[in-house]
Amino acid sequence: MPTEAARAWRPPPRIANASARRGLWIVATAYAVFALFTVDVDAARIAEGAARAADFFGGWLRPDFFTRWSDIRMGLVESLAMTVVATAAGFVLAIPFGLGASRNLAPAPVYAGCRGALAVFRAFHEVLVAILFVAMFGFGAFAGVMTLVVATIGFLGKLLAEAVEEIDPAPLEALTAAGAPWASRIAFGVLPQVMPRILGLTLYRLDINFRESAIIGLVGAGGIGATLITAFARYEFESVSAILMLIISMLFVAELLSGRLRRRLL
Amino acid sequence: MTSPEKGYVLQVDDLDVRYSSEIDVLRGVSFALQPNEIVGLIGASGAGKSTLLRAIQRLVEPSSGSVRLGGTELTTLGSAELRDARRRMGMIFQEHALVDRLTVMENVLCGTLGRTGFWQAIRRTFDAADVTEAFRLLDRMGLDGYQDRRCDELSGGQKQRVGIARALIQDPELLLVDEPTASLDPAASVRIMTLISEVCAENGLAAVINLHDVPLARRFCPRILALHEGRIAFDGPPAGLTDAVLTQVYGEEAVEPHVSRRSSDEVDGAD
Repeated sequence: MPTEAARAWRPPPRIANASARRGLWIVATAYAVFALFTVDVDAARIAEGAARAADFFGGWLRPDFFTRWSDIRMGLVESLAMTVVATAAGFVLAIPFGLGASRNLAPAPVYAGCRGALAVFRAFHEVLVAILFVAMFGFGAFAGVMTLVVATIGFLGKLLAEAVEEIDPAPLEALTAAGAPWASRIAFGVLPQVMPRILGLTLYRLDINFRESAIIGLVGAGGIGATLITAFARYEFESVSAILMLIISMLFVAELLSGRLRRRLL
Repeated sequence: MTSPEKGYVLQVDDLDVRYSSEIDVLRGVSFALQPNEIVGLIGASGAGKSTLLRAIQRLVEPSSGSVRLGGTELTTLGSAELRDARRRMGMIFQEHALVDRLTVMENVLCGTLGRTGFWQAIRRTFDAADVTEAFRLLDRMGLDGYQDRRCDELSGGQKQRVGIARALIQDPELLLVDEPTASLDPAASVRIMTLISEVCAENGLAAVINLHDVPLARRFCPRILALHEGRIAFDGPPAGLTDAVLTQVYGEEAVEPHVSRRSSDEVDGAD
């Protein structure tokens, strides 16, 4: 075997120009220093905050489920109801939007319309939508449900459209060849192919909605979030701790149940 | 151009399919099918075999020409009438085209969706006569007792037999069969082709069977149509498929399979 001269190899740099590379480093470092001064890091305030944090975590270690139990219970029941109603309604409404937003099923104008609608539903964070709906419909669970319905349609509609665009077209063509009308073609040729995935995503959305119901309550859209913000406002960190623990344990239970259900569906 | 005549099941006249202005997939294809006639459609990959079957069904729109099923001109039908016409043609597909997550029975009954109402189908309350017929067909296909099995549990040959039952439950006048043996081993291919010829004979059906396997076509089809670059290059009994004809249809390499040229890509391409 003939010996060959050793050859060196280094991966090529992402930015080929060496001075551009150095310049970028200098600019980035300068900006980081400037930004640090802008946010006004203040040792005194950090110390003060640490004291409050100790207070807070002290409360965290002594969760109090009882003093505010009736408020907490009402908040949880309301959040659960909001979650279930919004997920169910969102699922049903997401189907027409999702089918309409599938390039392989919908004619161009319907496709554009549904894609646009789904983009609008997903454009704003739930908190912003909740503020809008609270302004429109007043404080309470109704504004919260509307918020979660909109978010659920945006989420499931987009993912349904993506699933539909990936289906095997052959069975659908076979149904067309058998003279099946449009609705039957969707029901037999499309939905069976995407349903397991969509049901799995709906279960996932169910626990997202529960978490979101706690957040949008902070801006007045009902549910456990409303109870939580009240407890914070009164510095009742023991109740806050109890509420957070309940939210976490409910999410655990939801995770367990949905995992089990998903395995059965697939 | 042949004039419309009674007595033909299918008459295709001067059929053109153009995907874009540049590419002609089918050029002036004409043939007619007598009742009970079984035609094997052969030709190299890309010669237009699948497109011809799809154009007859208008799954692909013909650019010009005419397709008549019985007395019905298909190329001018509106969508509702086209659905009715499609019900009269049973189609059997290359990769079965079953809905994998549905059961065998549901897949067979999919063949009745052209005449079963949507809500009835959704609730799975199919007409008793259709269900009875589905059981009879499953029995005939050797799938007795398989009605509640999910299709993704079946073997390739079993899936293809479900596909045949789905086509037959339409009670068609004609079968359009696209590469029924493409995913099967040689023995299973022969069994499926035997089954298709038998059911055609039993039900008095005419069939156009698209086959990539020339020996299978010779064995099972009394009449062969060969497509070459979108035109009919041969139409006649298998005995007429001489080396000269096969050379024209598939190119040099396909004719003498005993000569060792297996390494060339063209042989696989022609399959």
